[in-house]
Amino acid sequence: MHICPRCESNRSEVVTRSPVKGAWEVLLCPVCMFTWRTSEPDSITDPAKYKSAFKVNPQDIPNAAHVPPIPEWVQGRS
Amino acid sequence: MAYKDFRDFLHTLEKEGQLLTISDEVKPEPDLAAANRALNNMGDKTPALFFNNIYGYTDARIAMNVMGSWPNHALMMGMPKNTPLKEQFFEFARRYEQFPVPVKREETAPFHEVEITEDINLFDILPLFRLNQGDGGFYLDKAILVSRDLDDPDTYGKQNVGLYRMQVKGKNRLGIQPVPQHDIAIHIRQAEERGENLKVAIALGCEPVITTAASTPLLYDQSEYEMAGAIQGEPYRVVKAKDADLDLPWGAEVILEGEVLAGEREFEGPFGEFTGHYSGGRAMPVIQINRIYHRKQPIFEHLYIGMPWTETDYMIGVNTSVPLFQQLKDAFPNEIVAVNAMYTHGLVAIISTKTRYGGFAKAVGMRALTTPHGLGYCKLVIVVDEDVDPFNLPQVMWALSTKLHPKHDAVIVPGLSILPLDPGSDPAGMTHKMILDATTPIAPDIRGHYSQPLDSPLGVAEWEKKLSQMLR
Ligand SMILES: [Zn+2]
Repeated sequence: MHICPRCESNRSEVVTRSPVKGAWEVLLCPVCMFTWRTSEPDSITDPAKYKSAFKVNPQDIPNAAHVPPIPEWVQGRS
Repeated sequence: MAYKDFRDFLHTLEKEGQLLTISDEVKPEPDLAAANRALNNMGDKTPALFFNNIYGYTDARIAMNVMGSWPNHALMMGMPKNTPLKEQFFEFARRYEQFPVPVKREETAPFHEVEITEDINLFDILPLFRLNQGDGGFYLDKAILVSRDLDDPDTYGKQNVGLYRMQVKGKNRLGIQPVPQHDIAIHIRQAEERGENLKVAIALGCEPVITTAASTPLLYDQSEYEMAGAIQGEPYRVVKAKDADLDLPWGAEVILEGEVLAGEREFEGPFGEFTGHYSGGRAMPVIQINRIYHRKQPIFEHLYIGMPWTETDYMIGVNTSVPLFQQLKDAFPNEIVAVNAMYTHGLVAIISTKTRYGGFAKAVGMRALTTPHGLGYCKLVIVVDEDVDPFNLPQVMWALSTKLHPKHDAVIVPGLSILPLDPGSDPAGMTHKMILDATTPIAPDIRGHYSQPLDSPLGVAEWEKKLSQMLR
């Protein structure tokens, strides 16, 4: 379990480890989809130092605008 | 002349002194992006970068800035690397008129060497990294994506080959941003109206000619592969995908095959864009990857994108200007001289034209707004006389400063469409647009004092010749 630097959820998971053992891991947050490498500067990896303008509130995510909107299913199209 | 594949082009860059290999160890972040940003700050003749010693990786090889300068753009077209930009523009326009050149089909390709269909993990297979500090993740930003029109699958030109940013959001998942002005948005809508997934294929590490065609604002039913053939002067080589009826570039390093999941939207971004601003985070479609194949020891290509100018601007400068030039020439064949739509993908366009009568230049500007590319770009159109070189900005500024009267020559058209990434659009996707007429007024538009334009002293041409010989 890791804290996501961007949305601060605690659900992030390791998606890969460096081919050279012990250099870094890549983590992915399933809430806001943020991805980071553990060897990045702490302005990226540390929730306290992550730039406030880029923080994401998990409650806003379900309300994010759909681009493009999902169209109606059109009967008879195939 | 065609390049055999991506590696063939890299060899040419190396031979021409336009490839810089960095063998010192670099960190994936922030070094890869920082080195590229620094290079983009160093002028318009810079080399491509080749990194072969990246911290934590054993054998990752990454090429960047492959088309990030005018010499590299000239080499893409097989021209001498010091070819002036204006000459590259007119040669590109000449080849554009050779369209279409039918493709050459192959049964197998070098990328069939290694194939992965189980336990796919894009983070293991691709050396991914962050570009700008506010980016929401790691992106594929110079991959081409192929998809087909579902209503008319047999019209070859409606198969689309486009360049879209794709965020890697899971071991086999990508996010894609389909701007409504781009063709992929049409294909996604067709599939979602049927409640079906849209099959797609993604190619990484391609020869620069298909990347150029993929980033050219062609008409919807014009084939990027047939345009690539026109630009390189011989048929473009393609091979079929395995999971769908899609054509792939034969010379690619890596292929991902998958599908856009119908009805799914997932948080994507922000991403530092060509506008020099981040895109913001929105819910966008998702691509699931089902199959990957690649060459042994593949070379991965990425590009740095951000505040202009970056590789993107060299890549889409000439090839954005030429379709506008051709479409304006369709309307005004005897007047249009050249078009420079190189600034921020054509948000600004400069058109050089002859004028037939008073008010003519403004009509040329209005036509630019209604071209297919103009619908999403061309927020500011500057029209200049035939003797002003639109690629020479000091000349354009001279025309603006002396020919333009704000009362008569600034036209604002309200409430038009623009790509939603324009950070000034409000709401996103809507904007006013402006035409600045910096041409000399002619009858019946009689105004100003333009009867005594400056000429040159006698004998300038002879002196130019003489001095250039002395300076050799
Ligand atoms: Zn998060």
